Amino acid sequence: MKQVGIEAINAYCGETYIDVPTLFAARRLDDSRIGNLMMARKSVALHCEDAVSFAVNAAKPIIDALTDSERDAIELLIVGTESGVDFGKSLATYVHDHLGLPRSCRLFETKQACYSGTAALQMAAATVAASPFEGTKALVISSDVARPVPHTYVEPSQGAGAVAMLVGDRPVVAAFDPGANGFHSYEVMDTCRPDPEAEAGDTDLSLLTYIECLKGSFTDYARKVEGADFLDTFDLLAMHTPFPGMVKGAHRAALRKLKKGLAPQAVEDDFTTRLGPAIQYPQQVGNIYAGTVHLALASTIDNAVIDREHRVGVFSYGSGCASEFYSVSITPRSQAAVRAMGIREALDARYELSMDEYDALLTATAELKFGMRDFTFDLDRFPQITKERFTGGRRLVLAAVRDYHREYVWLDGGAR
Amino acid sequence: MTEEEIFAVIRAQIVDVLPETAGIDITLDHSMRDLGANSIDRMDVVIAAQDELGITVPGAALTRAEDLRSLVAVFRSHLSTHA
Repeated sequence: MKQVGIEAINAYCGETYIDVPTLFAARRLDDSRIGNLMMARKSVALHCEDAVSFAVNAAKPIIDALTDSERDAIELLIVGTESGVDFGKSLATYVHDHLGLPRSCRLFETKQACYSGTAALQMAAATVAASPFEGTKALVISSDVARPVPHTYVEPSQGAGAVAMLVGDRPVVAAFDPGANGFHSYEVMDTCRPDPEAEAGDTDLSLLTYIECLKGSFTDYARKVEGADFLDTFDLLAMHTPFPGMVKGAHRAALRKLKKGLAPQAVEDDFTTRLGPAIQYPQQVGNIYAGTVHLALASTIDNAVIDREHRVGVFSYGSGCASEFYSVSITPRSQAAVRAMGIREALDARYELSMDEYDALLTATAELKFGMRDFTFDLDRFPQITKERFTGGRRLVLAAVRDYHREYVWLDGGAR
Repeated sequence: MTEEEIFAVIRAQIVDVLPETAGIDITLDHSMRDLGANSIDRMDVVIAAQDELGITVPGAALTRAEDLRSLVAVFRSHLSTHA
């Protein structure tokens, strides 16, 4: 059986961020709750960015690094999202076009809340594994933009971002353990996006469901993988991270069930050792929905000490609900490959928004309603942000909607 | 199991998770939010109380409980139907 996994991974988490303590103060939220969130900053989309432009900007460096024949070997593109722009036409059509992918390619969009990216990744892995051809590739992108709900405790974690992954038979970044996938899914109404502008739900129910799914999917994994142990089998863990404090609570609850009698300090130490590296980027970005679990995986590969082959346990959860626990192996080469993408440097280089700029961006973003037939963006509306950052045409943005068709441009006018 | 016995289990778990409530007269009219519990604390209390009582209640039923009186009622009804 051939080895299948992730050949390249990159994240694009926007051009701007708001400092979380600043947001708490401005909204007069109880700042004793910042500790519970464990968040430092969150990414904010520009008014002219949508899930399509985020997806393209995440994948572009990966595609640019391929030879023509490697690019032509991409026979599948899946975009996982809960930020769709049309009921019929998928985001993947625009993404495929702006990345210049071959027409000999399947393309579609997946939806299952924050699990959609994992659904896409596993379908891509299965496609590559089943292909009789050597070098078959698939591109998977998880991309979402939040609809922040001002003046709530959810607002500080509602981010924006995309993670792109090239899947193939030369898995430098992470190799999947074949057959090592546990599932746990059932109908529950925890969180949802019931209309194009709102996010709704019950945080407590979502937390309880997440924990039940972590235990359930790991139990299914352990049923299939002989000798699997939650504490000993995985050097590192990467989990879906709505906010890092939730991961910490879930980890503690899971260990209490799966490893009865473990001392509280041992639980705390285990969190720091095995999950500390994975929450670093989510702490800087917030919840990016479909891509959050992959951002956590990139974060752990980038930030952990990796001096030999390590096994990483990955937990993906999507409200509603579907979940999966699977494992991958990574090596020091994985770390070199991920660091070369410069994810941390890009996060550090984001523009810090003032509260006024943040609110102005939310207002500007809300002007394009779902289903509008025609709309033109003022790309110079926030010159203090865009003028300097986009010189050289390095980012795709949404310029207009004409007869429902979305028109994107590489800012600064460069045709790429 | 009586309402008082179930409430005693919940109260003990609240004090365990939120030691600062030890001096408070916790009543059935309190909600965990009133007592200063954040979402992670609330999750810890309901999971630990279920472990103590040896039951597993669906999350959707648990989160409908607005105060401790209704939480006790949810646990009690689950104990009686799953006895």
